Parts: sequence; structure tokens; C-alpha cells
Amino acid sequence: MIEAEAKLAPADWPKAGDEIGARNFGPFPPEALARYAVISGDDNPLHLDPNAARAAGLAGPPVHGMLMLSCFEPLIMRWRRDLFIAQLSGKFLRPVLAGDGICVSGRVMRSRESPRPELVLRLVARARSNDLAIVGEAVVLYKIPDPLN
Amino acid sequence: MITEQESRAAALTPEPSEDAFIRLPPIRVRTEANEVARFLRETGDSPTAGFVPLTYPARWLALPAVRGAILQSIGGSGFLPVHEAQSFSYERILRIETDYVLAVEACRTATPPRVILKMAVSTGEGAICARAETVLRIVPLNLEPAS
Repeated sequence: MIEAEAKLAPADWPKAGDEIGARNFGPFPPEALARYAVISGDDNPLHLDPNAARAAGLAGPPVHGMLMLSCFEPLIMRWRRDLFIAQLSGKFLRPVLAGDGICVSGRVMRSRESPRPELVLRLVARARSNDLAIVGEAVVLYKIPDPLN
Repeated sequence: MITEQESRAAALTPEPSEDAFIRLPPIRVRTEANEVARFLRETGDSPTAGFVPLTYPARWLALPAVRGAILQSIGGSGFLPVHEAQSFSYERILRIETDYVLAVEACRTATPPRVILKMAVSTGEGAICARAETVLRIVPLNLEPAS
């Protein structure tokens, strides 16, 4: 059972090929990574210690992949508030080093209205250099709008 | 294609065995409002958004029991887990100030050297809310001093 699932698509239900917009996040300086490490519990020294990063073959500590993946939810929900994100997945392709920021964006890859309104979104996160950091996908459903939000 | 680092990790980590699969006893967790707000603040959303972000369960990977399973699966010092892929699948949103039960399994593969964690989040009544899969690549550290 998917919570608050709606059976009929609204008139403005997106079509394949629609862009969902782009949004910048960061930059993520070492202090931001330290704060994320505390709240997420991911204190892997790779993200916090330049020596550990170098020992792993990186030029510097990389931004936590989960921190970057987390940026897709606000991107999607700013695009449309009437969605339930049923699935989100991402592959971390290239590290984004501390101090850099990312631009996340997405596009509708597949759209259907029955048996339930559903979209498959292709998501990408790029470093400022335009290097591809994450390729992701989300499956979103139309949900009955909450009158309180 | 297997990278040089992956080949080294495969050569240095223990051979897979019956012990390569770990299933933890159920773990009780809670979505504390202040922790959700701090998480939202650090991940680009308003701390007063009033919902549990969908990547929030990843922080439960840091629970001592789960962390222990990860370290046990990695199989020794001199290695670091590098997050390679992550997925979440939701049936119900998680609510703030609510108790949940985690079921966690860890599986280590030798070729390529990875730890795969599967987590299920359910209500106290047993209704599944979310599932997550975490793929960690095991990277050997080059501890030799730089020349």
C-alpha cells in the first residue's frame, strides 16, 4: 500500500521529457561535512580527514554521497508538492571534493496515468566542473493533496 | 572492469565464507523531532518542514550494532568503506516522534569487494514503511608515507 495514493491524474500531470528544474546546493566546506557527519552519524574519516582521503587515492575529502543524494528530495518537492516519492536511488560516480557545490536537476523519463498516476524521473547531480557526481532515479506517485500543507 | 584498487582489496580481504552474511536482531529507533530538524537543516531543507526526509534512515547505519556489522563485514583495518550506491523504497512516510523497528542484513561479496546492507523500517505493529539498500565498496588504504 502506498500512502495517500490518488487514482486519477490531475490535468497538468507531467509528460515524458518534461524538465523538473535545477537547483544549486552548497558549497560544502569542511565545516558542513563535519556537521553532516555529526547529524548523520557518518563519520567515515574519508570525508573528514585529508590524510585518510589521500590514502584512499583522493585529492581531498569528498562530500558525503548521502548528503548529495538528499538534495533530490527538495528538488522534486519544489517542482510539485503533490507527489509521493516511492523510490529514490543513486549511483555515486565521481567524488565531489569539500568546498565544491553541486547542481541537481531532473527530467521525466516515463509518465503514466493508469492504473495509477506515476512518473519515473532521471536525476543527476553535477559538480561545478560539470563532472557527473550522481546518476539517480525516482519513482513518484500523485498523492491526494494535504489541505493542511 | 575491475580497478587496480579493487583487485588489491580482493587479494587482501578474507575469502568469503558462511560468515559473509549477517542478520541483526531487530533494533528499535525513533524519529526524534530535534534530530530530524538538524538533519533537514544540513541537507538543504527547512528545519521546520515538518516531515522526515526520505534519506533520513541512512543515519541508522551509524547505530553501534549496524556499524559493528559493517566493520565485521569489511574484515579488518586498513580498509575504508566507500559509498557506491544507495536506494530507498517507501510504502509509508515516516512520521516525526514515532517509534520504528529496523531489520538489517549485511552481506559481503569478495569479487568485487563490497558490503551490501539491506534495511527494512517497519512500525511496531509490523507494517513495512521503507526499505533501503546500501552498497559500500571496500577500498584498501595506502598507508605508505608520501614520498
